[in-house]
Amino acid sequence: MSVLLFRVDERLIHGQVVVGWARRLRPRRIIVVNDELADDALEQSIYRTGIPEGIRADFWTEREAREQLPAAIASEEPMFVLTADLGSMARLTRDGVRIGEINVGGIHRSEGRRRVLPYVSLDAADERLIDELEREGVRVVARDVPTAAPVRLAERTRG
Amino acid sequence: MTGRCGVVVGHGRVAEGLLSALERVAGEQPNLWAVSNQGRGGDELEAEITSLLDERCEGREAYLLSDMDGGSCGQVCRRLLAKGLVQAVFFGVNLPLLVEFAFLPEQPFEQFVTAAVEKSRKALGAHR
Repeated sequence: MSVLLFRVDERLIHGQVVVGWARRLRPRRIIVVNDELADDALEQSIYRTGIPEGIRADFWTEREAREQLPAAIASEEPMFVLTADLGSMARLTRDGVRIGEINVGGIHRSEGRRRVLPYVSLDAADERLIDELEREGVRVVARDVPTAAPVRLAERTRG
Repeated sequence: MTGRCGVVVGHGRVAEGLLSALERVAGEQPNLWAVSNQGRGGDELEAEITSLLDERCEGREAYLLSDMDGGSCGQVCRRLLAKGLVQAVFFGVNLPLLVEFAFLPEQPFEQFVTAAVEKSRKALGAHR
Protein backbone atom coordinates (compact mmCIF):
# COMPACT_ATOMS: atom_id res chain seq x y z
CA MET A 1 0.00 0.00 0.00
CA SER A 2 1.62 3.22 -1.07
CA VAL A 3 -0.52 5.48 1.09
CA LEU A 4 0.88 4.99 4.57
CA LEU A 5 -1.55 7.39 6.18
CA PHE A 6 -4.80 9.07 5.20
CA ARG A 7 -5.10 11.77 7.85
CA VAL A 8 -7.70 14.34 8.73
CA ASP A 9 -6.16 17.19 10.67
CA GLU A 10 -7.10 20.87 10.63
CA ARG A 11 -3.45 21.78 11.05
CA LEU A 12 -2.49 19.75 7.95
CA ILE A 13 1.32 19.65 7.92
CA HIS A 14 2.64 20.20 11.45
CA GLY A 15 4.84 18.65 14.12
CA GLN A 16 2.83 15.51 14.79
CA VAL A 17 2.74 14.74 11.08
CA VAL A 18 6.33 15.50 10.11
CA VAL A 19 7.89 14.22 13.32
CA GLY A 20 5.61 11.73 15.05
CA TRP A 21 4.26 9.98 11.96
CA ALA A 22 6.80 10.73 9.25
CA ARG A 23 9.81 9.71 11.31
CA ARG A 24 8.20 6.34 11.88
CA LEU A 25 6.49 5.62 8.60
CA ARG A 26 9.01 7.35 6.30
CA PRO A 27 6.88 8.72 3.49
CA ARG A 28 8.61 10.27 0.48
CA ARG A 29 5.67 12.40 -0.47
CA ILE A 30 2.91 14.32 1.30
CA ILE A 31 -0.16 15.25 -0.70
CA VAL A 32 -2.38 17.88 0.87
CA VAL A 33 -5.86 18.06 -0.58
CA ASN A 34 -7.33 21.46 0.23
CA ASP A 35 -8.94 23.89 -2.19
CA GLU A 36 -7.94 27.05 -0.31
CA LEU A 37 -4.33 26.06 0.23
CA ALA A 38 -3.92 24.91 -3.38
CA ASP A 39 -4.48 28.54 -4.35
CA ASP A 40 -2.33 30.22 -1.70
CA ALA A 41 1.40 30.38 -2.42
CA LEU A 42 2.30 32.10 0.87
CA GLU A 43 0.51 29.54 3.00
CA GLN A 44 2.10 26.74 0.99
CA SER A 45 5.57 28.16 1.58
CA ILE A 46 4.85 28.34 5.30
CA TYR A 47 3.77 24.71 5.37
CA ARG A 48 6.77 23.67 3.26
CA THR A 49 9.13 25.03 5.92
CA GLY A 50 8.19 22.12 8.14
CA ILE A 51 8.74 19.39 5.61
CA PRO A 52 11.89 17.35 6.23
CA GLU A 53 14.51 16.76 3.56
CA GLY A 54 13.70 13.86 1.32
CA ILE A 55 9.95 14.42 1.37
CA ARG A 56 8.20 16.35 -1.36
CA ALA A 57 4.86 17.99 -0.90
CA ASP A 58 2.00 18.74 -3.24
CA PHE A 59 -0.99 20.94 -2.58
CA TRP A 60 -3.94 19.86 -4.66
CA THR A 61 -7.49 21.01 -5.06
CA GLU A 62 -10.11 18.33 -4.59
CA ARG A 63 -10.54 18.31 -8.34
CA GLU A 64 -6.82 17.78 -8.92
CA ALA A 65 -6.87 15.01 -6.35
CA ARG A 66 -9.77 13.36 -8.14
CA GLU A 67 -7.78 13.44 -11.39
CA GLN A 68 -4.28 12.70 -10.14
CA LEU A 69 -4.47 10.75 -6.91
CA PRO A 70 -5.23 7.35 -8.43
CA ALA A 71 -2.06 7.53 -10.56
CA ALA A 72 -0.01 8.83 -7.63
CA ILE A 73 -1.19 5.93 -5.49
CA ALA A 74 -0.49 3.46 -8.29
CA SER A 75 3.11 4.72 -8.43
CA GLU A 76 3.73 2.87 -5.13
CA GLU A 77 5.63 5.85 -3.73
CA PRO A 78 5.14 5.82 0.03
CA MET A 79 3.01 8.83 0.86
CA PHE A 80 0.68 10.57 3.29
CA VAL A 81 -2.59 12.10 2.10
CA LEU A 82 -3.86 14.93 4.29
CA THR A 83 -7.13 16.83 4.42
CA ALA A 84 -8.34 19.40 6.92
CA ASP A 85 -11.79 17.89 7.41
CA LEU A 86 -13.65 14.62 7.24
CA GLY A 87 -15.87 15.73 4.37
CA SER A 88 -12.92 16.20 1.99
CA MET A 89 -11.53 12.79 2.88
CA ALA A 90 -14.93 11.17 2.48
CA ARG A 91 -15.27 12.71 -1.00
CA LEU A 92 -12.01 11.02 -2.01
CA THR A 93 -13.51 7.65 -1.17
CA ARG A 94 -16.60 8.59 -3.22
CA ASP A 95 -14.25 9.37 -6.09
CA GLY A 96 -12.94 5.86 -6.07
CA VAL A 97 -9.86 6.14 -3.85
CA ARG A 98 -9.75 3.03 -1.71
CA ILE A 99 -9.19 3.88 1.92
CA GLY A 100 -9.02 1.18 4.58
CA GLU A 101 -8.53 3.53 7.50
CA ILE A 102 -8.77 7.25 8.08
CA ASN A 103 -6.54 8.60 10.81
CA VAL A 104 -8.09 11.55 12.63
CA GLY A 105 -5.40 13.73 14.13
CA GLY A 106 -7.14 16.95 14.99
CA ILE A 107 -10.59 18.46 14.60
CA HIS A 108 -10.76 21.21 17.13
CA ARG A 109 -13.57 22.81 19.02
CA SER A 110 -15.90 25.22 17.34
CA GLU A 111 -19.53 26.24 17.48
CA GLY A 112 -21.79 23.23 17.24
CA ARG A 113 -19.08 20.66 17.80
CA ARG A 114 -19.12 18.24 20.69
CA ARG A 115 -15.79 17.29 22.23
CA VAL A 116 -15.19 13.55 22.11
CA LEU A 117 -11.43 13.58 22.73
CA PRO A 118 -9.08 16.38 23.72
CA TYR A 119 -8.11 16.77 20.06
CA VAL A 120 -11.34 15.73 18.34
CA SER A 121 -14.66 17.56 18.39
CA LEU A 122 -17.46 16.47 16.09
CA ASP A 123 -20.64 18.05 14.80
CA ALA A 124 -23.73 16.17 13.66
CA ALA A 125 -22.52 16.08 10.04
CA ASP A 126 -19.15 14.60 11.09
CA GLU A 127 -20.92 11.94 13.12
CA ARG A 128 -23.16 10.98 10.21
CA LEU A 129 -20.12 10.79 7.93
CA ILE A 130 -18.24 8.57 10.36
CA ASP A 131 -21.16 6.17 10.59
CA GLU A 132 -21.53 6.12 6.79
CA LEU A 133 -17.83 5.54 6.24
CA GLU A 134 -17.77 2.70 8.75
CA ARG A 135 -20.77 1.08 7.04
CA GLU A 136 -18.79 1.28 3.80
CA GLY A 137 -15.90 -0.52 5.43
CA VAL A 138 -13.66 2.48 6.16
CA ARG A 139 -12.37 2.53 9.74
CA VAL A 140 -12.25 6.02 11.22
CA VAL A 141 -9.67 6.04 13.98
CA ALA A 142 -8.51 8.95 16.12
CA ARG A 143 -4.84 8.85 17.00
CA ASP A 144 -2.82 12.05 17.22
CA VAL A 145 0.62 10.44 17.47
CA PRO A 146 1.70 6.83 16.86
CA THR A 147 2.29 6.10 20.53
CA ALA A 148 -1.26 7.11 21.48
CA ALA A 149 -3.99 4.52 21.89
CA PRO A 150 -6.21 4.39 18.78
CA VAL A 151 -9.87 5.30 19.33
CA ARG A 152 -12.53 4.06 16.90
CA LEU A 153 -14.66 7.19 16.52
CA ALA A 154 -17.85 5.29 15.62
CA GLU A 155 -17.95 4.24 19.27
CA ARG A 156 -18.12 7.90 20.26
CA THR A 157 -20.88 9.04 17.91
CA ARG A 158 -24.52 9.12 18.91
CA GLY A 159 -25.54 7.10 15.83
CA MET B 1 14.02 0.05 21.81
CA THR B 2 16.96 2.38 21.45
CA GLY B 3 20.09 1.86 23.44
CA ARG B 4 20.27 5.58 24.08
CA CYS B 5 18.86 7.56 26.95
CA GLY B 6 19.08 11.16 28.02
CA VAL B 7 18.33 13.71 30.68
CA VAL B 8 17.34 17.23 29.69
CA VAL B 9 18.65 19.66 32.26
CA GLY B 10 17.55 23.26 32.36
CA HIS B 11 16.58 26.39 34.22
CA GLY B 12 13.02 26.94 35.40
CA ARG B 13 10.61 24.73 33.52
CA VAL B 14 12.42 24.67 30.19
CA ALA B 15 13.43 20.99 30.40
CA GLU B 16 9.97 19.65 31.26
CA GLY B 17 8.48 22.08 28.74
CA LEU B 18 10.71 20.88 25.92
CA LEU B 19 10.07 17.28 26.79
CA SER B 20 6.34 17.85 26.91
CA ALA B 21 6.55 19.58 23.51
CA LEU B 22 8.47 16.62 22.09
CA GLU B 23 5.84 14.25 23.45
CA ARG B 24 3.08 16.32 21.86
CA VAL B 25 4.61 15.91 18.40
CA ALA B 26 6.32 12.55 18.69
CA GLY B 27 4.50 10.61 21.40
CA GLU B 28 5.74 9.29 24.71
CA GLN B 29 9.47 9.25 25.31
CA PRO B 30 10.43 6.37 27.57
CA ASN B 31 14.16 7.15 27.28
CA LEU B 32 14.21 10.83 28.11
CA TRP B 33 13.69 12.63 31.41
CA ALA B 34 13.65 16.26 32.48
CA VAL B 35 15.35 17.85 35.47
CA SER B 36 15.26 21.45 36.64
CA ASN B 37 17.78 23.32 38.72
CA GLN B 38 15.02 25.33 40.34
CA GLY B 39 15.54 25.49 44.10
CA ARG B 40 18.53 23.15 43.93
CA GLY B 41 22.19 23.72 44.47
CA GLY B 42 24.79 22.22 42.16
CA ASP B 43 25.48 19.20 44.39
CA GLU B 44 21.82 18.40 44.76
CA LEU B 45 21.24 18.67 41.01
CA GLU B 46 24.23 16.46 40.36
CA ALA B 47 22.93 13.86 42.81
CA GLU B 48 19.49 13.85 41.23
CA ILE B 49 20.84 13.36 37.72
CA THR B 50 23.22 10.68 38.93
CA SER B 51 20.47 8.67 40.58
CA LEU B 52 18.24 9.02 37.49
CA LEU B 53 21.05 7.67 35.33
CA ASP B 54 21.75 4.84 37.78
CA GLU B 55 18.14 3.79 38.05
CA ARG B 56 16.97 4.11 34.49
CA CYS B 57 19.92 4.29 32.14
CA GLU B 58 22.11 1.47 33.31
CA GLY B 59 23.91 -0.38 30.56
CA ARG B 60 22.86 2.10 27.90
CA GLU B 61 24.49 5.08 26.22
CA ALA B 62 23.64 8.01 28.46
CA TYR B 63 23.59 11.65 27.40
CA LEU B 64 22.81 14.98 29.00
CA LEU B 65 21.17 17.84 27.16
CA SER B 66 21.60 21.18 28.89
CA ASP B 67 19.83 24.41 28.04
CA MET B 68 22.88 26.67 28.04
CA ASP B 69 26.57 25.99 28.05
CA GLY B 70 28.32 27.66 30.94
CA GLY B 71 25.16 28.12 33.01
CA SER B 72 24.78 26.29 36.31
CA CYS B 73 22.98 23.38 34.63
CA GLY B 74 25.68 23.18 31.99
CA GLN B 75 28.37 23.18 34.67
CA VAL B 76 26.81 20.26 36.51
CA CYS B 77 26.53 18.40 33.21
CA ARG B 78 30.20 18.99 32.47
CA ARG B 79 31.15 17.58 35.87
CA LEU B 80 29.13 14.45 35.21
CA LEU B 81 30.83 14.10 31.82
CA ALA B 82 34.21 14.44 33.52
CA LYS B 83 33.21 11.66 35.92
CA GLY B 84 32.46 9.44 32.96
CA LEU B 85 28.78 9.05 33.76
CA VAL B 86 27.65 10.11 30.31
CA GLN B 87 28.92 9.85 26.75
CA ALA B 88 28.42 13.50 25.86
CA VAL B 89 26.71 16.69 26.92
CA PHE B 90 24.68 18.49 24.28
CA PHE B 91 24.17 22.14 25.08
CA GLY B 92 21.74 24.77 23.84
CA VAL B 93 19.09 22.10 23.59
CA ASN B 94 16.11 22.96 21.43
CA LEU B 95 13.12 21.04 20.19
CA PRO B 96 14.77 20.03 16.89
CA LEU B 97 17.73 18.58 18.82
CA LEU B 98 15.37 16.53 20.96
CA VAL B 99 13.67 15.27 17.81
CA GLU B 100 17.02 14.12 16.43
CA PHE B 101 17.96 12.59 19.75
CA ALA B 102 14.75 10.59 19.80
CA PHE B 103 14.76 9.50 16.19
CA LEU B 104 18.27 9.24 14.79
CA PRO B 105 19.00 5.56 14.18
CA GLU B 106 21.57 3.77 16.28
CA GLN B 107 25.02 4.52 14.95
CA PRO B 108 28.56 4.98 16.22
CA PHE B 109 28.82 7.58 18.98
CA GLU B 110 30.84 10.24 17.08
CA GLN B 111 28.62 10.02 14.07
CA PHE B 112 25.48 10.30 16.18
CA VAL B 113 26.66 13.36 18.09
CA THR B 114 27.81 15.15 14.95
CA ALA B 115 24.60 14.40 13.06
CA ALA B 116 22.36 15.48 15.94
CA VAL B 117 24.20 18.79 16.38
CA GLU B 118 24.37 19.58 12.67
CA LYS B 119 20.73 18.86 12.04
CA SER B 120 19.45 20.84 14.99
CA ARG B 121 21.80 23.74 14.30
CA LYS B 122 20.30 23.97 10.82
CA ALA B 123 16.92 24.37 12.45
CA LEU B 124 17.90 27.67 14.08
CA GLY B 125 17.63 30.86 12.06
CA ALA B 126 15.40 33.76 11.16
CA HIS B 127 12.90 34.47 8.40
CA ARG B 128 13.12 38.06 7.20
